[in-house]
Amino acid sequence: MTISTATVRWRGWPLSPATVRAVLGGHGILGLAFAAVIYLVCLSGTLAVFARDLEHWEQPRAPSVAAIGAEQLDRAIAAARRTTPVGTTLYVTLPTLAEPGAALVAYGPKLEREWAVDANGALVRKATPFTDFLLALHIALHLPRTWGEFLVGLAGVALLSSLVSGILAHPRIFKDAFHLRLGGSRRLQEADLHNRLGIWALPFHVVIALTGALLGLSTLIVGVLAMLLYRGDTAKVYAMFVEPPPPVNAEAMPLPSLARLLAEAQQRAPGAELHQLTIERAGRADARVTITSTRLRLLVPQDTTIFDASGRVVKDQHPRDLVAGTKILGGVGQLHFGWYGGSPVRLAYGMLGVALCVLTSSGVTIWLARRRDKGRAVPLWERLWAGVAWGQPLALMLAAVTGIALRGAGAVLWVWLVASLLLVAGAAALRRVAGGTIGRWLRIGLAVGAVSLASLHLAMVSADAAAGLIDAILLAGGVWLAVPRRKRSAP
Amino acid sequence: MIAGAAGLGLIGGLGGTTLLRAAWAERARSSRWRVPVGWLVLTAAIVSDAVWVGPVKGLALGVAMVGIGALLVVAKSRVRRVARAGRETGVAPEPLDGPSRGAWRGWVKALLAGPLGMTAAMALAFCYATWAPGDPRTRLIVAGLLVPFFWALAMTWTLADHRLLRSVGVLVSTTIAGFALAMLKGLA
Repeated sequence: MTISTATVRWRGWPLSPATVRAVLGGHGILGLAFAAVIYLVCLSGTLAVFARDLEHWEQPRAPSVAAIGAEQLDRAIAAARRTTPVGTTLYVTLPTLAEPGAALVAYGPKLEREWAVDANGALVRKATPFTDFLLALHIALHLPRTWGEFLVGLAGVALLSSLVSGILAHPRIFKDAFHLRLGGSRRLQEADLHNRLGIWALPFHVVIALTGALLGLSTLIVGVLAMLLYRGDTAKVYAMFVEPPPPVNAEAMPLPSLARLLAEAQQRAPGAELHQLTIERAGRADARVTITSTRLRLLVPQDTTIFDASGRVVKDQHPRDLVAGTKILGGVGQLHFGWYGGSPVRLAYGMLGVALCVLTSSGVTIWLARRRDKGRAVPLWERLWAGVAWGQPLALMLAAVTGIALRGAGAVLWVWLVASLLLVAGAAALRRVAGGTIGRWLRIGLAVGAVSLASLHLAMVSADAAAGLIDAILLAGGVWLAVPRRKRSAP
Repeated sequence: MIAGAAGLGLIGGLGGTTLLRAAWAERARSSRWRVPVGWLVLTAAIVSDAVWVGPVKGLALGVAMVGIGALLVVAKSRVRRVARAGRETGVAPEPLDGPSRGAWRGWVKALLAGPLGMTAAMALAFCYATWAPGDPRTRLIVAGLLVPFFWALAMTWTLADHRLLRSVGVLVSTTIAGFALAMLKGLA
């Protein structure tokens, strides 16, 4: 029996019962309006935390060197320049103690290409269609970049607002802090799960939502700020944070010796580890080489030495030279994705990411169970949510199967899109089947998908120990999902 | 080093929340000391991580690991009950449903929580960026973080407040005043 809350005043809670109910009403509306987008962004984000591991899983034979010499780097850069248009910017990531492997990215107005660099400086083209698809899904939902990022940013704001309203509408925050009552009423079980995950992981979830919202909304924020203060000239806002390009001089000029530049950068940043080279306008007199170095206790590289085409140092800055804003800007992405501390951090982010997915899903389930308790069940929405909550992991699994089998980025996107639409439309069309049953079918489908994916990967890709571990996790996960569950709660 | 700090955060989370759980479960005067000590253990775990692996890295890792430790304690304290429909204990608050007062209210609320909330949040944040002391780059980045934060607060408030005119008035006046003040000062 639910006691009428209008007459109950929660001891020590600053909000009145009527306000708590109003906030809870808003919490529900917001959660339902954005549930699918938040869930998709959280699910893809949780997997994106393991992007490096997934890349290795997709292409275990890609070279992963522990160290690389300047001569080999010269060779790799020369090879990249031969296959890219003049003016393409090259980013070379050097192997570090925490993250082995050297990578080279060529980036231009109409070009983005990535290679792994082997110990001899030879380039091996990156072929990781599923990971690329996953990152693009998380960042912009495969929509036109501006709109997609805005939608993801908006989902971040909605999530942040839901976290705030969830706490405000929770007067029994301390009384119930450790209650997890499984079985009994479905609604109470889901509410316990929802509230416990929401409270104990709150600081982490706030950080993820806030940084995600900022990353998604940054283009809009810069645009509005530029309109307000600089007559729409966004370059003036960006110029506050990025080094202005050197004056144009298209005369041919060879790149200076990387060995000398690396030694100079290393000498200027004692105690730091060389991390990345950025080479702009290579082969011209207005070329620029930027070398950044990382320190163990810092989130992102903050030692930067910039050289001109003749190898002269034109700028040298270190952590003490940077203002707080520049440091925060550099760290937002790392803090959001959890790519800063190796496997322990990725595992922690992964676990709390799963918690965020369950938090989102259980919020919708509570609403559905409450409607059913009150005799106003919405079976269509129950089926649709089963199609989203269980359907999305399955659609992503099918996309991964496609990535491994066909190695085509376009095919991965289309398979995910078609599978998502079919699963949701199918769930809506099955009028005689309960949402819970559809959820169980999809869970079995997911189990089959996980086992199939691992088997396909083992058959098609010669996996090493690290890639094999992911296959083992998929197999174990598949078996776990296939085991029938005892009925845990009343409908 | 990171693995050690992660372990420390996890142990701190387990220890601190175990103390809190014991204190809140017993509710006896004699166990009240566990509440401040529990919070102290949680705080110490996060601060130790920050000291060990660096302020930002350590804080982020500590917060994550303490959360995981706490959730493990919650999972350990789960109780399983017999499935029976209709049984529900606890005095959890019910959301305010109320009779529907027209679809137009829903649209106005969406407008308030969405575009109007966003412009009001931007106006406040840009006001901060232009008027606050300090380096303009820092002000700008802090303002960037304030936009989603203020927007989220505006969403929470407008969706809960049934007085639409009050919401409209506050958000519109905040937008106008904020943008006007920001334009007046500029980003020096």
